[in-house]
Amino acid sequence: MNHNAPAPLPADAPWIVMKFGGTSVATLPRWHNIRELVASRRAEGARVLVVVSALTGITDALKQLCGEGDQGKRKAAAGAIAQRHHDLLGHMRLPLPATLGARLDELAALAAEGPARLGELAWAALVQAHGELMSSALGAAFLSHTGLGTQWVDARDCLAAVALPNQNERTKLLSAMVEARPDPALNARLAAQGEVFITQGFIARESEGRTVLLGRGGSDTSASYFGALLKAARVEIWTDVAGMFTANPRQVPGARLLQKLDYEEAQEIASTGAKVLHPRCLSPLREPRVPLLVKDTNRPELEGTVIGPQVREHAPSVKAISARKGITLVSMESVGMWQQVGFLADVFAHFKQHGLSVDLIGSAETNVTVSLDPTENLLDSDAIAALAGDLAKVCRVKVIAPCAAITLVGRGMRSMLHTLSSVLAEFDQLRVHLISQSSNNLNLTFVVDEDVVDDLLPHLHELLITAGALRTDDSVLFGPSWQHLYGSGEAAVAHAWWREPAERSRLLDIAAEATPRYVYHLPTVRQQARELKSLSAVDRLHYAVKANTHPAILRALAGEGFAFECVSPGELEAVSAAVPADVPLLFTPNFASRADFERGLATRATITLDALHPVEHWGELFRGREIVLRVDLGRGLGHHEKVRTGGSGSKFGLPVEQLDAFLRHADAHGVVVRGLHAHLGSGVLDAKHWGEVYSQLASLAERIGSIAFLNIGGGLGVPSHPGEAKLDIAALDKVLREVKAAYPHYQLWMEPGRYLVADAGVLLARVTQTKGKGSWRYLGVDTGMNSLIRPALYDAWHEIANLSRLDEPADALFQVVGPICESGDVLGSDRRLPEPQEGDVILVAQTGAYGKVMSSPYNLRGETEEVVIDA
Amino acid sequence: MTTSTNPRLTQVFRFLHARYADGVAELAYAFDDGEPMVERIRFPDAPELPAARQAAFDAALKLLHLIAGVSYYKAGVPPKIEVADGLLDDATADLLDALYLHGLAEFAYRNGLDLRGRIHFPRGASAAAQVPALGLRQNTLVPIGGGKDSLVAVEAIKSAGGAATAVWVGNSALIAACAERTGLPTRNIQRELAPALFELNQRGAWNGHIPVTAVNSAILAVAAILYDHDSIAFANERSASAATLEYDGQQVNHQWSKGYAFEQLLGDWLHTHVAADLDYCSLLRPYSELAITRAFARLTPYFDVFSSCNRNFRILGPKPADRWCGQCPKCHFVFLALAPFLPKPRLLAIFGRNLLDDEAQAAGFDALLEYQDHKPFECVGEGAEARAAMHALGQRPEWQEDALVARFRDEILPQLDAAQLALEPWLELSAEHRVPARLQAALKAIGA
Repeated sequence: MNHNAPAPLPADAPWIVMKFGGTSVATLPRWHNIRELVASRRAEGARVLVVVSALTGITDALKQLCGEGDQGKRKAAAGAIAQRHHDLLGHMRLPLPATLGARLDELAALAAEGPARLGELAWAALVQAHGELMSSALGAAFLSHTGLGTQWVDARDCLAAVALPNQNERTKLLSAMVEARPDPALNARLAAQGEVFITQGFIARESEGRTVLLGRGGSDTSASYFGALLKAARVEIWTDVAGMFTANPRQVPGARLLQKLDYEEAQEIASTGAKVLHPRCLSPLREPRVPLLVKDTNRPELEGTVIGPQVREHAPSVKAISARKGITLVSMESVGMWQQVGFLADVFAHFKQHGLSVDLIGSAETNVTVSLDPTENLLDSDAIAALAGDLAKVCRVKVIAPCAAITLVGRGMRSMLHTLSSVLAEFDQLRVHLISQSSNNLNLTFVVDEDVVDDLLPHLHELLITAGALRTDDSVLFGPSWQHLYGSGEAAVAHAWWREPAERSRLLDIAAEATPRYVYHLPTVRQQARELKSLSAVDRLHYAVKANTHPAILRALAGEGFAFECVSPGELEAVSAAVPADVPLLFTPNFASRADFERGLATRATITLDALHPVEHWGELFRGREIVLRVDLGRGLGHHEKVRTGGSGSKFGLPVEQLDAFLRHADAHGVVVRGLHAHLGSGVLDAKHWGEVYSQLASLAERIGSIAFLNIGGGLGVPSHPGEAKLDIAALDKVLREVKAAYPHYQLWMEPGRYLVADAGVLLARVTQTKGKGSWRYLGVDTGMNSLIRPALYDAWHEIANLSRLDEPADALFQVVGPICESGDVLGSDRRLPEPQEGDVILVAQTGAYGKVMSSPYNLRGETEEVVIDA
Repeated sequence: MTTSTNPRLTQVFRFLHARYADGVAELAYAFDDGEPMVERIRFPDAPELPAARQAAFDAALKLLHLIAGVSYYKAGVPPKIEVADGLLDDATADLLDALYLHGLAEFAYRNGLDLRGRIHFPRGASAAAQVPALGLRQNTLVPIGGGKDSLVAVEAIKSAGGAATAVWVGNSALIAACAERTGLPTRNIQRELAPALFELNQRGAWNGHIPVTAVNSAILAVAAILYDHDSIAFANERSASAATLEYDGQQVNHQWSKGYAFEQLLGDWLHTHVAADLDYCSLLRPYSELAITRAFARLTPYFDVFSSCNRNFRILGPKPADRWCGQCPKCHFVFLALAPFLPKPRLLAIFGRNLLDDEAQAAGFDALLEYQDHKPFECVGEGAEARAAMHALGQRPEWQEDALVARFRDEILPQLDAAQLALEPWLELSAEHRVPARLQAALKAIGA
């Protein structure tokens, strides 16, 4: 232990307030941790005030004690609570300090006495205050014992609760408020006493001298009050996570750490879902402009989140997206009444009367809709029925639930609306019940059906990044993802093959011959194929050839044992020409003509039908055949509306409600439905979705009887943005094996496409010129949407690199554009690249899938060549 | 029969043998001269069978063999039925003829078959002597299905102080979770269909609904003798006896083996052929679906585990959508029947969505209301019950503007006789049931 105390501090040394929660103060190792952190702050030249919570579990135990009517049981409970502190002291090898001994005695006396003398609430407040009184006394003894002289301060001598209008006895005693303004006298008084102090969170004293509690989030709030009173250099909240994130990491593992926020933004994020900070702990700091820092106790090296006065000029960015579930909307419809003086006041009086508090409000000439947050009162009483009954007397009322409020938070939200178009398009298929935007311009809230939220939120988060609305490229504001910081075993970001020096020089040679050119790297195709072959639950893998029909790729995958899935007679011909005659084929067309089916039936391919029409009108074509039926499970997923293939808005698949009709027609023509197929969409990165499709198909298959295999499609996502987590193949395998164990009698088929070939392909082009226009700079290359239409069609993001200058710093910002006469001919927006020269080779990555096959002769720019390279 | 034969072309369905050893019952069947199809039923922790119960056990096992055969028989529906160990007495043959005819009525309707005059179990043995009472232990086997009904039955028995064991057949995480929540001792019996049945399906077997409650009842009769229980209390309610539709002069009831007719046939047969003191009944028989949902509305601890959804969720998740598909008649009915008895936000939290405010569900609810359609082939309440529940919601301000409730008020209600729409009559108990004296208190608790 370090007994070399640093030089004494001057009287005006700055203060740092450090707050530690219940788990941080419950064990000896965590106290060592605290000691290190406090000593380091003291070494910075600051006076330190430590604010602590009660040992974890103690506040709940004290609450239980308060609810106990029997004196004997109360005494036993107090004894058990005391023992927890004795145990920790034992670990610390410390004798019982007098300060703690006095607290334990007082608690024992309070438990024995019961609430009669002090009154129920005042007694309960004083009992519960003991959690923090005891933990802080224990902490003072420990820190002093380790050589860090620490003064114990009674928070009640510093924090004076104020009386507020509307306060009843309960809120006055159990959720009190303090008006904390910088108090130079207190500052001087403490400074005269020492350098390191410890005090209690959660408690204060009111004007009659009684102990009061600060309510939920009370310890953080105490730290803020002290920060304001002492006008501290900063308040540090030490917790179990590195700070606030762009979304709840449990819902969105890719959520980014928010490194800088202003008070208002942070408060908005805390109020709309984030649990790290209680929203009320920010307001005391705003006026004295004391910054608040959130830090991870276990990972003090992480930056954390700094919350302070408005951050210096930045491009406006959405900071976070959050969702609150369990919301109930009350929609009130009336003609012309809203204008009448007092009408709305009368309506809201009913909410108050039934104990329901209103959150969001949206209004129109004839309608007012309000939201109610979930409470037990709402769920289990007849409050809603009674409210609706009262309201029905004056307007038409509709109760809409269960809903969820999805909120985007960011300063200057209105100026960002134009960037949100693809995000807003996502709400197109949903029922949006209410939209609210506050005049402080910090948020934008959508209330939607609750059941869509779990899938929607990660998707929206990704869209916000893709759309450039959440500027994760700004490393001042945004830190690493939660997955990166805390995720288990995140695979190292795969090093793209074209970055290898040998491959790079080979590519430069290929580009020197001619551009534009697609180059396909067969070892990468094989590597991806082998990765998928590790899916032990899958019985047959098909390559969905529409992604890339180059014969060398088809041959490579046939060599890996893949079967092939084709969607047109043309693809069937191309595959048949390239692969051996015993390789299984699958023909899965959509809106194919009778002639297409006739051609498909003439091959060895297994035919998939996805509509009633063929079996209803051309049933004889299929007589005696075994076919696969593609169903639409009623919802779609994917990285863009245009690649979603489920749901009524999609043209694919037989709606489940037509299944019986299909089977009747099939039976009538002797057609046996042998396989069942569904495909949700493309670019899906969450393994559990295939488990859902698989088990839904399996439960449908059980109704059919003749089914032998289930084809759960493809759509395996390929991450494109830096920092995006790749699809976890091991997790996918686990999910699939679980379902397989439940339905072992069905074979499992998949048909991945893009996953196999995207990374293997690059598009090489050459710089033609640059152009400046206002603050924008354009970098022109010798091909564009004629070669690669995905950015224009799907807003797809492809990494773009200057292969000629791969090692130079990328410090200029460009719009990378092609030569096609379309304003949408943009390959990449806002790309950081080195300053280019005419003739530099530009590489567009991940273009092995849906590149060449979707290219067009538009503008008669000529064919883009394809080159295949092998190891 | 060669392995490639289409089962629809077979001539004879044969009951080969039923054996039991070490907790495993083996039931063997065949079509024509084909390979035996062997089903296995595993009774966990099976105790040694006392000699005094051996005869009863053999009789129950024989019945199980005969009843479980329905899963295989239906694959081919051949014209002849043979039982290897001889002829049946009239009571047994009557029971089986009725079960195969009525229990497969929906199957026949869907496949365009007419089974009348086709099903003849070989009869002619003289009636056996009335069996004695065995002094069975006072403990009720309550089959758990994961839905509300069996949970209402369990809680009724618990509230009346009765001893019971929660039992279920097969693997179901949902049922296991519900059974655990009951706090009762549990027993999970496994049924393994003959793998050959799956191959038959591949070769064009007839397929469709079988009277699975009859099979489970027969399994539990064996279990009751094996584990020493004096009663089996199912949770089949009044409306299970109502026909789903009439087709070509034949009543078709999706849940015939949950109906009172089967309960009487089997209950009487067990009294005369297995043990005079083995009672088989349904505890919910005198109650309507609405009376049962009202009882269930009080059982908050089950709200986050139960599901009556017809989609077979073998893999459970934490979300309501992992237990309720929201599309099937069971989801529709349970939602509608619970609605009058629960605060709206609580009900919506159970289902995770509001099915009555979803226009796309109109056809499904119409079928429940028997409006423009027949009753769906599902275990759901009678149309008049659904109409009464919907009418009740139409008078509730918190419900009446929801799309399908408003549609009911505007379009359907004017065509109905308002006098027939009261909810209260459905909450009354009817006299028709065979609940034994020991469980009468539980029966009354449900309607309280």
